[in-house]
Amino acid sequence: MSGPQEVVLAAAGVHKRFRTFERRKGLAGILGNFVKRDWKDIVALGGVDLEVRRGERVGLIGANGAGKTTLVKVLTGIVPATEGEARLFGRDSFALRDAEKRRLALVMGQKSQLWWDLPPLDSFKLLKEVYHIPAAAFDARVKEYSEMLDVEGKLGIQLRQLSLGQRMKMELIGAFLHAPELVFLDEPTIGLDLVSRETIREFLVRLGREEGVTIVLTSHDMEDIEETCERLVILDRGRVLFDGELLELARRVSTRRSIEVQVDPHEPIDEELLRALIAAHEGEVLQRSAHTLRLRVGARALPELVRGLFDVLAVRDLAVERQPLELLIKDLYRGGAVPEAARPERLPTVPARGPELSDV
Amino acid sequence: MMTAPAPARPFGRLLVRATAYELRKQVAFRVGFLVREVSHGIVEPLVMLWVFWALYDSAGEGAVLRGWTFPALVQYLAGLLVVRKVVFHNRALDLSTQIFEGRVTKYLVMPMDYFVLAVARFTQYTLLQLGIAVVTWCIGAALAPEHWLFPVSWGALCGALALVLLGSWCCFLLYYVLNALAFWLDVVWSLLVMAWFVVSFAGGAVMPVSQMPPALFRVLEWGFPYWAISAPIEVLMGRLGAADVVRGLAILAATAAGLEVLRRVLWRRGLARYAGVGM
Repeated sequence: MSGPQEVVLAAAGVHKRFRTFERRKGLAGILGNFVKRDWKDIVALGGVDLEVRRGERVGLIGANGAGKTTLVKVLTGIVPATEGEARLFGRDSFALRDAEKRRLALVMGQKSQLWWDLPPLDSFKLLKEVYHIPAAAFDARVKEYSEMLDVEGKLGIQLRQLSLGQRMKMELIGAFLHAPELVFLDEPTIGLDLVSRETIREFLVRLGREEGVTIVLTSHDMEDIEETCERLVILDRGRVLFDGELLELARRVSTRRSIEVQVDPHEPIDEELLRALIAAHEGEVLQRSAHTLRLRVGARALPELVRGLFDVLAVRDLAVERQPLELLIKDLYRGGAVPEAARPERLPTVPARGPELSDV
Repeated sequence: MMTAPAPARPFGRLLVRATAYELRKQVAFRVGFLVREVSHGIVEPLVMLWVFWALYDSAGEGAVLRGWTFPALVQYLAGLLVVRKVVFHNRALDLSTQIFEGRVTKYLVMPMDYFVLAVARFTQYTLLQLGIAVVTWCIGAALAPEHWLFPVSWGALCGALALVLLGSWCCFLLYYVLNALAFWLDVVWSLLVMAWFVVSFAGGAVMPVSQMPPALFRVLEWGFPYWAISAPIEVLMGRLGAADVVRGLAILAATAAGLEVLRRVLWRRGLARYAGVGM
């Protein structure tokens, strides 16, 4: 049996390229495409290095097209890597045997693992045969997990007749039934209401902590990651942009504040004085209009800067808040603020890009 | 959460449970069940009955066309009504859709061979259609005993059944192989429809293969569709004997072996190309 710090998942220089052809425009283009195609490679993963140890809960985030799902597919052996090596439980991911697959589970938020036409309980019984789950363990887990997720009354209803949230909870039960050591979750809370999301996060945290399940979670929802994971991996254009403790990021966040000032647009502003004030406190202007000023500043400089703002501006309203984690992640995408220790050596400087926050 | 290594165990129990679920799925929707499962394969023999009636009527009373009288053809069509139900139909396999839509992904991380589930589908189809075929035969025998097809012997019945089941397995493998082409092509559904038509024609669903022009018959008698559909009916009618059954079984077994090799190769190579779309 494996040690407490065993590496259960490892990727070394993993590349994945997909081949597609350029679609030319117009009727001539359509005919041209039919006769001759200009093939090109799409790089989905451009050399990913990653190690996950037993019991870790890792959040994998990135903008759309960053390569999160492709990485999950390569790591679980659904698709082979074009270059590099992906290993699961010490074995090539694309050549997993049944013994390794029994230790693994995958939950896809956008694809049902269970059988659509069957009640979840019947699907679970099918999974019992697939994974050779002993009857007593099966009964106990179905009971425990359905209670934890508050769906014990829905086990006999056809899956297609359940709500999205109930379906996802059933998916989770199905995924954890065979007591997997490593679970990949791809957007498990997508489209769910707040209560369902919260229940699912609690379920994951509890199983992760109590049972020592290694969890790799991809999500667009930072709350999912913050509440479930200890470690964060940020992917951008097929490369690891950040790999480190979530706490470290949180610490960086806790030292920064966002100030939003509403000013009287009819009162004149001494621009030079304002610029000097902001510069003296190492502030950064995030947004500026006739009546709004948004700044980012270190927590220590906050009291003095606020006093100064009241002197320089005709303040109507002022609000201070902690910088949200999303904003810091946006910085990471732009190539700034990546902690040196977390920046992979092989990673080139990432040019400024600035995706919308909703993409993160 | 440590999992004790599960002992290696054959997939018999999974096959039985999956077959049971496939059966439940089929009968879950009553109208769908009646339209798709019960009435399937009934229309064509009835249409052909009218076509042959018109042909033989124009040829004059007591006409024999390439060794077949009209009453013999009526018996053939009665046999077709029953036998064709049991032969695996391409609509019963949705593997290509699963590949296109990425629904096959979930099975790739499970400690099982997806083929077991497909075999469960085949088993469910065969059991269900055998039951419906028996009921159909009983109703036909009760309503029109003078025109109906009665097996000439128990031996003929067993031989015909063996041919139909092995032929059905060949059809299943052929459709599986064509479905697996979805890893490469997006026109699989067209291929499946074409294949179904070719199997129907070459199997004698339009007319007995032995009634076709001799040159064509000599070609088609080496193909598995003939031994899956037309030949079993002729065995039941007593037109073919035990030696023919043995020859048919040999051709079917060789075809099944060839298709099995093709299935394994295509599946393995297809998975290497699979992109797992929609995840």
